Amino acid sequence: MSEGGSSIGRIARRSFLLGAGVVGGGLLVGAGMVAWRLGAIDGYALPAGEGETSFGAWLRLARDGRVEVAAPHQDMGQGIYALAAMLAAEGLKLPLESVRVVPAPVEARYANPVMLLDGLPFDEASEGPLKQAIVWTFDKILRVVGMQGTGGSTSTRNMSEQIRRAAACMHDMLARAASAKFKVPVDQLKNVGGAFLTPDGRTATYAELATDAGRLKPSDVAPPPLRAGVYVGKGAPRFDVPLKTRGEAKYGIDTRQPGQLYAAIRHSPRLGGKLGRASVPTNIAGLRGIVEGGDYVAVVGESYAAAVAGLEKADVVWDDSTALGVSTGDVFAAYRAALDKGAEFKPRWVIDSAGDVARATGKEIRATYDAPFLAHATMEPMNATAYVTETEARIWAGHQSASLVQLMAAKAARLPSEKVEVFTPFVGGGFGRRADVGYIVKAVEIAAKFKGTPVQTIWSRGEDIRDDVYRPAAMADISARVDGEGLPSSFIYRIAVPSVTDQFVARVLPGARGGMMADRSTVDGALFPFYGLPTRSIENFTVDLGIPVGFWRSVGYSLNCFFVECFVDELAAAASIKPLDYRARLLARAGASEPARRAARVLERMAAFDKANPPVPAKGGARSGRGFALTASFHSFVGEIADVEIGNGEINVRRVHAIVDCGFAIDPPNVVAQVRSGVNFGLTAALHGRVDFDNGKVLQANFDSYPLLSLESAPAISVEIVESGAALGGVGEIGTPAIAPAVANAVFAATGRRLRSLPLTPGIA
Amino acid sequence: MSVEFTLNGRSASLRSPADSPLLWALRDEKNLVGVKFGCGAGLCGACTVIVDGEQTRACQTSVGDVAGKSVTTIEGLSGDIAKVVTEAWIRAQAPQCGYCQPGFVMAATSVISADPNQTTEQALAQITNLCRCGTYDAIRLAVGHALDTLRGRADISSTGAGR
Repeated sequence: MSEGGSSIGRIARRSFLLGAGVVGGGLLVGAGMVAWRLGAIDGYALPAGEGETSFGAWLRLARDGRVEVAAPHQDMGQGIYALAAMLAAEGLKLPLESVRVVPAPVEARYANPVMLLDGLPFDEASEGPLKQAIVWTFDKILRVVGMQGTGGSTSTRNMSEQIRRAAACMHDMLARAASAKFKVPVDQLKNVGGAFLTPDGRTATYAELATDAGRLKPSDVAPPPLRAGVYVGKGAPRFDVPLKTRGEAKYGIDTRQPGQLYAAIRHSPRLGGKLGRASVPTNIAGLRGIVEGGDYVAVVGESYAAAVAGLEKADVVWDDSTALGVSTGDVFAAYRAALDKGAEFKPRWVIDSAGDVARATGKEIRATYDAPFLAHATMEPMNATAYVTETEARIWAGHQSASLVQLMAAKAARLPSEKVEVFTPFVGGGFGRRADVGYIVKAVEIAAKFKGTPVQTIWSRGEDIRDDVYRPAAMADISARVDGEGLPSSFIYRIAVPSVTDQFVARVLPGARGGMMADRSTVDGALFPFYGLPTRSIENFTVDLGIPVGFWRSVGYSLNCFFVECFVDELAAAASIKPLDYRARLLARAGASEPARRAARVLERMAAFDKANPPVPAKGGARSGRGFALTASFHSFVGEIADVEIGNGEINVRRVHAIVDCGFAIDPPNVVAQVRSGVNFGLTAALHGRVDFDNGKVLQANFDSYPLLSLESAPAISVEIVESGAALGGVGEIGTPAIAPAVANAVFAATGRRLRSLPLTPGIA
Repeated sequence: MSVEFTLNGRSASLRSPADSPLLWALRDEKNLVGVKFGCGAGLCGACTVIVDGEQTRACQTSVGDVAGKSVTTIEGLSGDIAKVVTEAWIRAQAPQCGYCQPGFVMAATSVISADPNQTTEQALAQITNLCRCGTYDAIRLAVGHALDTLRGRADISSTGAGR
């Protein structure tokens, strides 16, 4: 099934995040077992101590009278803890300060099926009984397997309805308890914010009612429709903001356990290389030992400074017999060669197709685009603190999946999963990096050499960049034949890129066989949920030279939206049609599908902004231009407008306006913050981001060679929210994909030069 | 041999070697973990502390360098200007992941304290910290709010997340 057109319409064959092994494990549980375990999951309740009352999996009344809501997702800055608190407060008619967020236990009940279901082989927009049946089945299996996870912009989509339903259910139980206590019908009780009031003036607080309410049988109460309320649709100050501002928020790196040691780690300078042997002088004060790992050496000391000093004096011999000799140029040469082979190349996956592109006629327009490897460079470098004994392990670390941390740490410590306890503090940035938990495995390996003593292993910035799983570099050949109006009558999209999913699965399940399916994640953004090109072939050429790749904020969208939205601009220019008008014509031709309608609405707002706001004027001597890009990612639609000026050989982005349709914005100020964040993240990549390799060595090591956008260079970003009433979409990544094409298209508007390679360099003064 | 200095307003001493980075001495010996490690090369500012009024990268400062000096970390930040800056930061809802924010608050407090009458642009030009979440719009807003407040101009009853 590696090529050929799709015979059943919009179904595309794609891989999904679950490795065959994990699915197999789930299936092995057996249908009867699935049913039994589902019962246990649905009956799961948050543990309640003395004086606490649990109301199912999501809510608990604490001793101090506050309601605790369980958050199964990590807060990496996307504001998901605050959202959980808002939804609980809204549903329970409580002031926000009466609600507290607690991290959910590592339990199957808190699985995130949404993240995995998004990877199923269907287009986002497809519907129908086959999809429904498969999604239903996978949803059940995934809840039993129980992978918790934070990623793919799914947290809000995964937990909102569950928390809202739980809050409605708890409120009903409290009301019934009040009714029984006062012998007053429920409909005559008035909720006065954390208490019920009877017509004759008697009151009982939630805390007073909790014990009785907790004994009642829960009813399945539907929450009210999701719409603007006290907090929902308006937002509220986030409880984590004062803690973070005052330096009181604790991150993984701030873990302090009694008797804790510190480890400094260094990896083989060449990817794929191994440690030969290593030793440290024994006369250094504060040193406690050295750990020889597979591809790393770690020096352990009583302080991190002592560990670093020891590592600097260590005698280390690397074994390069397995090291990669790959250089950046080799990667792009391999991509070029694969694409040149065309249909003969294997593995080549036709991921989406319609019509017969070979029979299309008309003028042909073609272009080749490419993008480099990128590091995540989270502000908090990789680190983890582990405590390992013969019988148990404890982990303190930021991560994006407690389930995965537990699974991988247990394997590294040779312990059963249930003997591993995971503590999750605030996370100093994720962006996909902390979905790969190799850093936790290494910290466990190191701590296992110091049984009974907690050891905190910290990556230096250079090691953090060296030991990353990079956003893959990619190259795309795009060609279209256009009709008399300049609209594409055929569209062929071929991207050469490694499989992120295969590599990820192989890291989680060594021995898992890759290459079974195309990697959907690497073509996201080239699947046209809205342009609806009737004759098309979207093809993935899987080319992997061994450089580790992983999930990077917005994953394939970060590549494909740049390639596609720049190419659409090229088509517009070739047809001598203005960029926004050209996209409007494409959408008009696409018809009345929901994606086309939502995209058209965003495009209308882009046109309105364009008309009402003249481009930021250039400073003396600089050339300026405005560019546009329209994208759909993570079930949300985003249009971005960038005003740039080019002077002294540099691209200066002066202003960005983003229009966002995420269905319904539960926390609008945070949607604005997240989209701004996504834009700046994408802009760092567009203007500066590249990780290069020379004979297997990573050339970038810190923020001098891998620069970030700065306070000075970051543009003013305005965000406009369009409410479409569509199902909830993601928010955390959606700002990123559109900015690189918007800026590149703006450079074209300013200079007439088409930049097809990231990072963007204007090549003119 | 220990190094004597003033830490967050009190006399203190450090046992860490005089040539070791102040960053790790503060974090590991004094447990002042609001001083963050970001790059170890003075590039990101996550470890910014205030030494005798000046914003200073703790990762580029040796323990011996602060002998006899006054060091303030985010944990010891106090005074009217620090309060105004912190409140402006919260009002702007600036932090996302938050890891870099203490460093930004320290830098902003130092810069604003040096001249509360400067323009927002002048203040921002002296803050070279990095934020990977890209909270720069909110940070500009916070610095502007703080300066406005100090000039007694802002309507501080309004809230907002920098829309």
